[in-house]
Amino acid sequence: MANPLLSPSLLRTLEQFQLLASRRARSSARGERRSRARGQSVEFADYRNYVHGDDFRYLDWNLYGRLERLFLKLYEEERELPVRIFLDASESMTFGEPVKFDFARQVAAAIGYVGLCGFDRVSVIPFPALPPNGQTDPAAWILQSAARGALRAVRGRKSAMQFFQNLAALTAGGQADLNETLRRGALEARHTGLAVVLSDFLDPAGYEAGLTALVGRGFQVDVVQILAPEELTPTTYGDLQLVDSENGAVQEVTFGRFRLKAYQQTVQNFIQRLKEYCQPRGINFFTAASNTSLEDLLLRQLRKAEVWA
Amino acid sequence: MNFLAPAALVFAVTIPVVIVFYLLKRKRVVKLVSSTLLWQKFLAETQASSPFQKLRRNWLLLLQILLLALATFALARPYFAAKIKPAHLRVVILDASASMQSTDVSPSRFESARAEALKWVDSLAGRDQMVILQAGAYTEVKQSATSEKAALRRALQSCAASDGPTRLVPALRMAESLVRDQPGAEIHLFTDGAVPELREFENKALPLVFHRIGVRANNVGLTALDARANPEDARQRAVYVNVANFSSNQVETELELRLDGRLLETRPLRIGAMEISPQVFITTQPRDGIFNLRLSARDDLACDNEASLVSLLPRPVKVLLVSKGNRLLERALRAAPLVQLSVAQSLTDPAAGFDFVVLDGVVPAVWPRGNLLAFRVPNTNWFESLSQIQAPAIVDWKSTHPLLRYVGFDNVQVVESLTAKTPSWASSLVDSPQAPLILAGELGRQRIAWVGFDPLDSNWPLRISFPIFIANAVEWLNPANVQGGQLLIKAGEAFRLPLLHPETSAQVVLPDGKVREVPLDATANEFVFGETHRQGAYRLRIGTNELVFCVNLLDAAESDNRPRDELRLGQFERVTATTLQRANLEVWRSILALGLFVLLTEWWYYHRRTV
Repeated sequence: MANPLLSPSLLRTLEQFQLLASRRARSSARGERRSRARGQSVEFADYRNYVHGDDFRYLDWNLYGRLERLFLKLYEEERELPVRIFLDASESMTFGEPVKFDFARQVAAAIGYVGLCGFDRVSVIPFPALPPNGQTDPAAWILQSAARGALRAVRGRKSAMQFFQNLAALTAGGQADLNETLRRGALEARHTGLAVVLSDFLDPAGYEAGLTALVGRGFQVDVVQILAPEELTPTTYGDLQLVDSENGAVQEVTFGRFRLKAYQQTVQNFIQRLKEYCQPRGINFFTAASNTSLEDLLLRQLRKAEVWA
Repeated sequence: MNFLAPAALVFAVTIPVVIVFYLLKRKRVVKLVSSTLLWQKFLAETQASSPFQKLRRNWLLLLQILLLALATFALARPYFAAKIKPAHLRVVILDASASMQSTDVSPSRFESARAEALKWVDSLAGRDQMVILQAGAYTEVKQSATSEKAALRRALQSCAASDGPTRLVPALRMAESLVRDQPGAEIHLFTDGAVPELREFENKALPLVFHRIGVRANNVGLTALDARANPEDARQRAVYVNVANFSSNQVETELELRLDGRLLETRPLRIGAMEISPQVFITTQPRDGIFNLRLSARDDLACDNEASLVSLLPRPVKVLLVSKGNRLLERALRAAPLVQLSVAQSLTDPAAGFDFVVLDGVVPAVWPRGNLLAFRVPNTNWFESLSQIQAPAIVDWKSTHPLLRYVGFDNVQVVESLTAKTPSWASSLVDSPQAPLILAGELGRQRIAWVGFDPLDSNWPLRISFPIFIANAVEWLNPANVQGGQLLIKAGEAFRLPLLHPETSAQVVLPDGKVREVPLDATANEFVFGETHRQGAYRLRIGTNELVFCVNLLDAAESDNRPRDELRLGQFERVTATTLQRANLEVWRSILALGLFVLLTEWWYYHRRTV
């Protein structure tokens, strides 16, 4: 079955990567990540005195021969890295050519695929949450609900295709609350890990509280801001009455070519403020227009920033 | 503060227009966007920035600066230091006579002349001045010399055509005095050329520009009207009327005669081109009344198609003959119609009960107040000096005077006569080489006919002309006829009425029904009314008396409304109609239109390129 999000060549390239986490994995499930836990692996960690009930197989007989004391060899336990991808599926993500949401799903698929190849547990959290059943087409709601449910925890490379299909089944709509979503995501996580936030960050309430909650919880946070080309360089001029797609707010503006630079400066200021917020908090920040090359983002920018290697 | 052109304040309405431009709500295009967050930040950043910004190259700004610079430049009232050319004077004479009411040009010749004159006002340049004269029955200065166009337009608008004849001579005389010693001055005469001869201005080198108004002649009109007792039957009235056809074609029309509005007779007429048809209506008249004649012809000039006449029934004429005995004179007086003759040897009272007095060589003790026919009466109050001449030869007589109608002095010899120098109040009717022999005139309100010789000292009583002269004298001296003559005047002439008792006010009802109250001086012995521009019957109430007088055009020169190609000034000089059009074309309208265009361009550009 063909992957609707990523090309086979890109997948092959991504298979060679592994997500880098500066923090040790704290998951309880076994995986391939070094952790502070002691367990079974080939990596020697430490010795400790034998106590009654320990497994004889881990006694260091050579040391007993020299010291006549029983020491137990400890090995590092390799555990999984929980990767939580916060995917903005609000109405504002449905704009752009190409659509921002499609670009975000591709980035999520790529990060998720790298995570799955590394035996990490990948969770995709689309927000806003689905409206209660009955407000939309029931069949579509069930489909959406199933896809979202399936994306909550995916592990193992063999689940990649299903993962992609579920991602492709997602739709965007509604008004998002970025802060609330991130804050809740931080609280709900049993184990911290890697948190990737894919959004346009065009939330009137801001983003600071949510990102702070993630960082405070112990997540290593990567932020990818995705903007539409029209948001960076508007092409509609004249007397405009702009209607916000999410909250319906109306803004009257008269816009001409000679003010384009001022607008672009405003956008750059907005991006710069987000970047300046992220950097002191150890958050990797990336921005991309939805029409930029996916490969450039994934293979160059993210790699350069050592999101993966 | 004063304004040279207060009418220009009307352009203040452009200010609200500009405000309206700014009040117009722009139609905005509704567009759904992902989020308005960036736009809010954009607006907040651009609006909350410094009150000053970097000056950008902005066409809108340049246009506004250009407009302000031009306005400031204009307010500074720039001028060039140059030698000022002397201002030229234009005297506009607008013919307001009856013929200018002709409708051969729409709506009338007068309106066309006014429109043409207005164009000349518009073309008045700089400091050039203009005078507006209205030439009707009398000349009226509508506007003295000014370069203020608004005043000149108002003056032209206040002009109106009358039913009166043209009296161009006074107007041209006034214009001549205005343009005298004025280099470059011009007299612009707007007329159809239906004017009397202007012999007076021959060789005056008048800078006259003749603007011919009118295109054709199509008019039939009444040119003369009179009512008398029928010579063949004194109980009947004879109404004489002249109908003239001034068009180039034969005209068939009908002539109606009415008495006090009652139709008496309708007579079909066929008048050849440029012919005059005299008509006589014989009718009975039971009482005093107004004869009204009306032509049914549809021509270009309506005002000469109707005429009215007050006709008073003849009354017996009481005549007092003061004579030592002159049977020829007495018989001639008795032969005159309706005469009740009394004869006396002398006169010792004013003879108030008589219509007029005949003095036959008798100097009365008390001079009569009424009209007088005097034969060889030396009155030193009438003449400066009197002398006697023997056998004066009669060499000339004035046959146009009513006293000498059908009277000839061929074969009349006079033995001896008193002579005097013609006084100012009288005119000479019969002349000898040395001095006048018969004088007639009006002294105060008294009509006097003075014959210097005794008829018995001549062979005149043996000639047929003598009884005719006596009959003419009875008619001319009859106060009733004098009054009747006063009741028929031409349009534009003043109506005069002697006042026997002092009055304080009079009331005149005009033909159109309007009422004019005329205050009178208690010491005035004459009522004068000059507002006789319109023809028709005027009703006068003064004291307890009420009378009617009629105003008519009855002017062949006016009825002949052929537009002339040239005006004749005397025998040799002619002024040809000009084809000159407006001389100066003002360009301020174009400049204003250009300014408006710039303003609209600015507005369009402002909205196209947005804020």
